Amino acid sequence: MRSIGAIILVLSLGSIPVLAHHSFAAEYDSKKPVELKGALISLEWVNPHAWIHIEVKDETGKAAKWDCELGSPNLLLRNGWRKDSIKPGDVIIINGSAAKDGSNIANARTVKFADGTRVFNAGSSGDPGAPGAPTQ
Amino acid sequence: MHAIKAFLPLFVLPLAASAQWLDYPTKGIPRTTNGKVDLTAPTPRTPDGHPDITGLWVADNSRHLANLATDLKEVPFQPWAEKLYNERRGQGGKDDPEARCLPQGVPKVNTLPYPFKIMNMPGEVVILYEMYYLYRQIFTDGRDFPKEFLSPSWMGYSIGKWEGDNFVVTTAGVNEDFWMDTFGHPHTSALKVTERFRRTDFGHMEVNVTIDDPKAYTKPWGAVIKQHLLPDTELLEFVCEKNLDPQHFK
Repeated sequence: MRSIGAIILVLSLGSIPVLAHHSFAAEYDSKKPVELKGALISLEWVNPHAWIHIEVKDETGKAAKWDCELGSPNLLLRNGWRKDSIKPGDVIIINGSAAKDGSNIANARTVKFADGTRVFNAGSSGDPGAPGAPTQ
Repeated sequence: MHAIKAFLPLFVLPLAASAQWLDYPTKGIPRTTNGKVDLTAPTPRTPDGHPDITGLWVADNSRHLANLATDLKEVPFQPWAEKLYNERRGQGGKDDPEARCLPQGVPKVNTLPYPFKIMNMPGEVVILYEMYYLYRQIFTDGRDFPKEFLSPSWMGYSIGKWEGDNFVVTTAGVNEDFWMDTFGHPHTSALKVTERFRRTDFGHMEVNVTIDDPKAYTKPWGAVIKQHLLPDTELLEFVCEKNLDPQHFK
């Protein structure tokens, strides 16, 4: 039922432009796309950006923590997210852009569950310099 | 005493949260037969005949947030301002004060991807900005600017009047602590901003902004920032309370 509510909200409130707070270009590299799959450690529902922390395992099974920047809680609310849309332990797939400094940080563009059923527009990747964002 | 203060927010927070409506039908606005808001209905007017610009608005896109001069071929920089602009651009805009939760200032507040609410009051127009919990008082009671700006501020001092169908707002007395866009167009405390608000129909409004800052630019320049109405929702609280971004980066 939650997923139905989320879809309706996305459709009815989809006219709000994607967030832009700080300069995407200062922190992230649009030419370094990443796909991260892992179990949610926590969702930090804070301004100006919410953050997802997930545990990602490489091919050898070694685990690493990744921090992924989202839009603000208000942007997420208007796009159908709720604070409990994802819970610790949920396996999620994040697509976005990696940090310029090479650390385990990414700007999330979309977040979906492992079975692909729910896709949210996640992020602050509408910031200037991000893929598809204005450059001039 | 400190302990009491610390606990107070715990009681206040649930109240604040329940006082917000993400999705609630706006009463008394034109709708088509299927219940959808008629965004192309005529511009509403107040009893005195002026366009009624009250309502919840948001910029159509982030073009002017990124670059206020995006529609111009060239910007009439003073040399020092061009040098500073190029430095800021070269660093990807990393030092934008907004990224540290500081107010966006005027005119940047017109370009944000979060709604603002215009309220028409006797003697003043009040604008509440969702992002970072900001507000402006635009006095329409005929006053002029104070002789001296004792305390230059983020949102400046604003006076407004009607010229035909345009609500014309002049703002001065701003500080130099914000950037006018993410690209970093600089300004000085000599900045005078004129914003002409024109509601073109029920669901659409243009804000025609003119930047007049002879210390930073050789002549005035500006942009037209298109806005659309956001019916059936309300402002949400947006306190920039916990900026985790810097600590995530080396």
